[in-house]
Amino acid sequence: MRHESTQNSRALLIQLARLGDLVQSLPAIEALVDAAPETPLDVLCSAPLATVLGEARNIGRVIPWDGGRWRAWGEQWSEDPNGTLRAAQAYLAGLGESTYGRIYPLNQHNRSLLLTHLFSSPSVRADWDDRSEARIRPWTEYLRHIATRRGNNRVHLADAWCGMSGVRPRGRAPLLQPPTVDLPDDLASIGERQGLWVALVTGAGEADRCIPATTWGRWTHEFLTRTDEGQVVLIGSGRERETGQAILESIPALFQGRVWDATGRTSIPQLMKLLHKCRWVIGADTGPLHLGTLMGSRAIGFYFSHARVHETGPYGEGHWVYQHAAQAQPERWPIMESIALICDDQRRAASDWTLWRNRMDQWGTSFDDGSGQEGVEDARATVWRTLSPTLCESVAA
Amino acid sequence: MTLFNDNIARLAAGDTSLTAAVKTSAGGVLTIEPARSGVPSARRAGRWIHSAYDPIREAETWAETHAPACREGETVVVAGVGLLYHVEALRKRVAPELVVAVLISDLDEFHDALVARPLGSWAENILWLSGTPVEIADRLSKTGRPLRCLSYAPAMHSDTNFHSTFEQALQRGIARQTGGQLTIALVGPIYGGSLPIARYVRRALETLGHKVQWIDHSVHASSYEAMGALKDARNRQLMQGRLAEVLSQWTLASLAESPPDLVLSLAQAPLTLPVLEHLRRKKLLTAMWFVENYRHLTYWQQMAPGYDYWFVFQQGACLDAFRQAGARHVGFLPMAADPELHRPMDLSDEERRTYGADVSFVGAGYANRRRLFPALLRRPWSFKLWGNEWDGADELHSVLQLNGARIDTDTCMKVFNATAINLNVHSTTGASLDPQADFVNPRTFELAACGAFQLVDSRSQLPDFFTDREILSFRNFDEVPGLVERWLGDPAARQAMAAAARERVLGAHTYVHRMRDLLGHIGFSQPDRVGAVLRGDRQQESLLSRCAGDVPLESLLKEFPAGQRVELKDVAARIRSKGSIMTLKREELMVLMLDEYRSETRDLL
Repeated sequence: MRHESTQNSRALLIQLARLGDLVQSLPAIEALVDAAPETPLDVLCSAPLATVLGEARNIGRVIPWDGGRWRAWGEQWSEDPNGTLRAAQAYLAGLGESTYGRIYPLNQHNRSLLLTHLFSSPSVRADWDDRSEARIRPWTEYLRHIATRRGNNRVHLADAWCGMSGVRPRGRAPLLQPPTVDLPDDLASIGERQGLWVALVTGAGEADRCIPATTWGRWTHEFLTRTDEGQVVLIGSGRERETGQAILESIPALFQGRVWDATGRTSIPQLMKLLHKCRWVIGADTGPLHLGTLMGSRAIGFYFSHARVHETGPYGEGHWVYQHAAQAQPERWPIMESIALICDDQRRAASDWTLWRNRMDQWGTSFDDGSGQEGVEDARATVWRTLSPTLCESVAA
Repeated sequence: MTLFNDNIARLAAGDTSLTAAVKTSAGGVLTIEPARSGVPSARRAGRWIHSAYDPIREAETWAETHAPACREGETVVVAGVGLLYHVEALRKRVAPELVVAVLISDLDEFHDALVARPLGSWAENILWLSGTPVEIADRLSKTGRPLRCLSYAPAMHSDTNFHSTFEQALQRGIARQTGGQLTIALVGPIYGGSLPIARYVRRALETLGHKVQWIDHSVHASSYEAMGALKDARNRQLMQGRLAEVLSQWTLASLAESPPDLVLSLAQAPLTLPVLEHLRRKKLLTAMWFVENYRHLTYWQQMAPGYDYWFVFQQGACLDAFRQAGARHVGFLPMAADPELHRPMDLSDEERRTYGADVSFVGAGYANRRRLFPALLRRPWSFKLWGNEWDGADELHSVLQLNGARIDTDTCMKVFNATAINLNVHSTTGASLDPQADFVNPRTFELAACGAFQLVDSRSQLPDFFTDREILSFRNFDEVPGLVERWLGDPAARQAMAAAARERVLGAHTYVHRMRDLLGHIGFSQPDRVGAVLRGDRQQESLLSRCAGDVPLESLLKEFPAGQRVELKDVAARIRSKGSIMTLKREELMVLMLDEYRSETRDLL
C-alpha cells in the first residue's frame, strides 16, 4: 500500500481545524508515514495546537500556522501593502521548506486550498486538477453529502481522511507517549496512587454541545458514591473554570478530596499527560475526549445535538458512545448507565439513548450497538471500493 | 540665563526666527516650583500643569499611552507646552523617523520653559510650530503627511481658543483633501423631517466623490404607520419598538453585505444601542447627525455612548450635555441647503397666482405659530399659510391653503419663489417666539438658497452664518407687520438682500460644505482610517508610489486605473477573476490568503 511516487523529497499534510479534528487526522498521518517511509511527512496545523503532534512518531516537521498574524496583516494591508506582503513572504520563508512534492489538504475551505498551492512544487500545481483532485474529490463529495443528508453512513471521518490522502487505514488506532512536562504541583499526584481515575471533559467548543454543570455534578456525586476507588479530574479550558467551580460546589464536602479541578490550568502537553494518567475520559464530542483516546484512555462519549457517533466517535477500539435519539438538548442523561459501564463493565440501556461500542478492522473504526454488524462492513467496503477503487485493487492484488 | 542661552543655542540650529521671537518674549506666565522628586514643576494661573510629585514619571505615562497609536510616516502634533517633559518622553519613545511637532501657542510660556530646565539633544529632533493657529494648520496641511494630534491637557487650559481655532483650521484642511473615495453607509429614518435631509446628505456625499450605500428605511413607513393605528398605547409602542429593532438588525445585515468605512445615521435612524456596540466591536466607525432640537427629542441621552461621533446643530450646553451622557466625540454641524432642490425657479403667471402672496408661511401648526399668526390677518397685504397640523386653528382657516394638507418639496419651493416675503418662525411649544433660540432651522438656508426674501425670528447663531445685509430678522413678533410694510414697498432691496443670502449659502452653507466638515472632523481624529482615505492614500497611484521596486505588487496594482481606490478585496477580486488557482503567482496566492482572513474579521453577523 504505497502512494504515488514523487520526485520531490517531502510531503505535507494540512489540517487547520480544531483539536478534535487534528487528533482524528492522526490515523491518516500514520498511514501516510507507513505507506511511504522514505518520504518525510510534515504537518501544518493551527499554531496553538502544534504541541499535540510533538510526540507523534515519524512525523517530519510540525509547521505551526499562525492565523492571527494573517488576520492582522489582512487588516493592515491598505496602510502598507508592500510591507504587508513582505511580512507575509518572510513568514512563509520562515516556515522552512518552500515547496512539497505531495500535499494532503484535509480541510475543504479556501485557506486550505491556498496553502496547498502556496506549498506545492510547480509540477504538482501543474497537474493538481488531474491527479490530486481525482484522489480527493470523490471523498470530499461523499463527506459533503453525509454532512447535508446524514443518511446511513458508517465510514468514520478519520478513515475518510485516509481515503482523501490516498491511503487505507492501518487497522489500529494511533497512540502517543505522554509528553515530558511537569504538572502544577497540586495536580502532580493525579494517577499516581491506586484508584479508578476518570477525566471529565466539562466543556465543548460550541454551546449547543455543552453538558450542563448540574449533570456533571450529579455524575460526579453518583460515581464517587458508587465506588470508593473513584477519583474525578475536571478537564477544561479557562472558559470552563466557572463550570469546574460549580461542579465542585455541588458535591458534598466528603467527596471534595477526590475531585481534582484542572480546568483552565493546563497547557496542551500537560493536558495530554493528565489524560494519560486517567483510565477513562468522559464527555461530549470534544477535542479533549479525542485527545484522551490518543493518550490511551478509554472514552465514553455523550453524543447529542449535531454530534454523530459514526462520523466522529472516539477513534480506535473499545470506546463507548451514548448517542441521543434526537438533535434537541437531552432531558435525561445516561449517568447511572455510564457509571455501571465503568465500574461493572455492565452494558445498560438508557431511554432516548443508544449505546455504541467501536472496533477496528481493515476499513478503520466502526461502531456496533450489539444488534449485529451484518451489512455494516459490506457497506463500508462498498464506499471504499467506489471512492478509492485503485487503492482497493492494490490491496486485492 | 546660561540655561536659557544654552537652550536657545540648541534651538537656533533649526529655527532662527523662532529663537529670535522667544528671546524678545517676556516670559513670566509660569510659576516654577520644585516637585517632590527634585526636578522643576510649574503652575499657570494657579493650576498645576505638571505633577507636583514626579513630572518625569507623569510624562512617561502620558507618552506610554499615546506612543502606540503613532504610525510610521505621520507627523505627531503635540498641543500643550508646559515644561516639555511630555514632549521629551514622547520623542524618546517613538521611532526617530517619526516627525514630532510641538504647537507653541504662547511664546511667553515657551520662554519660561527654556529658563526652567535644560533641553537635551532630543529637542533638536522636534519641529517647533509658532505663528497664528491658521498659519500653522496651513503649513501642516501642505506637507501632505498624515497628522496625528495629541493633547497634553493640563498645559492647554489657558489657550483653548488657540487650540480650537487650530483644530478647526486643520479639519478644514483635511476636508479640502478630496483625493480619496470613502464608502459611507447612510442610514435614514423611517419617516419624519430628517428623511429629506438624509437624501440631501446622500447627494452631497456623492457630489464629493464618495460611494454611498443608502440604507433606506422609509420603505417600511407604511408598516410603521399601520402599527400606529393600534388603539392601545402600550401595544402600539411595543409593536413599533419591535419593528425598530428588526430594522436595526436589517441595517446590520445590509452593512454585512459590504462593510463601509463609515456608518452615518441621520436622527431617528433605527439603530439600537446593542447593534451600535456590536458595530464598534467589529471596528466599524459610526456617526450620527442629530438634526433635531436636543431639548425636544431626548432619546440621544440613552444612545450617546453608542456612536463614535455625534454631530449636532446646537452649541454650548448641547455639546456639554452630549458629553455628559457619554458621547465620545461631539461636533457642531449646522443645517444647510441643497442647491439642486433649493433654487430659484421660473414660474408661470398661473403658478405665481397660485403659490404667491405678499407674505407666506410654510410649516406645521405649532403652538407659538397658532398664537402669533392671527396678528397677520386683516392687513393691507395678502397672507397665505401652507402646511399641515393646523386642525383647530379656526381663526387662520381663511388663509390656510389646500385645507391644511402636507405639501411636498416641489410645492414648497414654488411658494418660496412666488412669495414676496417668506416668514420663517422657529417652532416651540410655548406661546411666543422660541425663548432658547440657539439654532438655525433648515428653512433659513433653504429660503436663502432659493434666492427668496425671508423674515426670520432672531437666533443666536444667525450672525455666524449671515450678515444683516443678507438676512432680515426680528426679535419681537410685534415688529413683523411694520417690517412687512416697509420691505414690501422696496422690491429692489428685497431682491438684493435675497441674492446676497443665496450667494452666501452657495459659498458656505450647502450640504456639500457640511459633509466636507463632517468628514474633516472624523478624518482629523482618525488619521490612519478615514483620514488616510481622504488624503488619497488608498488610491492606486498612492499605493503604487509606496511599493516602488516591488515588481509583483506593482504589476497587481497597475491592473487598476489611476484615481481608483484600491483595497485588498479589490485586488483579490481581480486575482480571482483570472480563473484557475493553478495559474496564479505566489504573490497572488498570498493576497488571496490575506483577503480570506480580512473577510473573516469583517464578518458582521
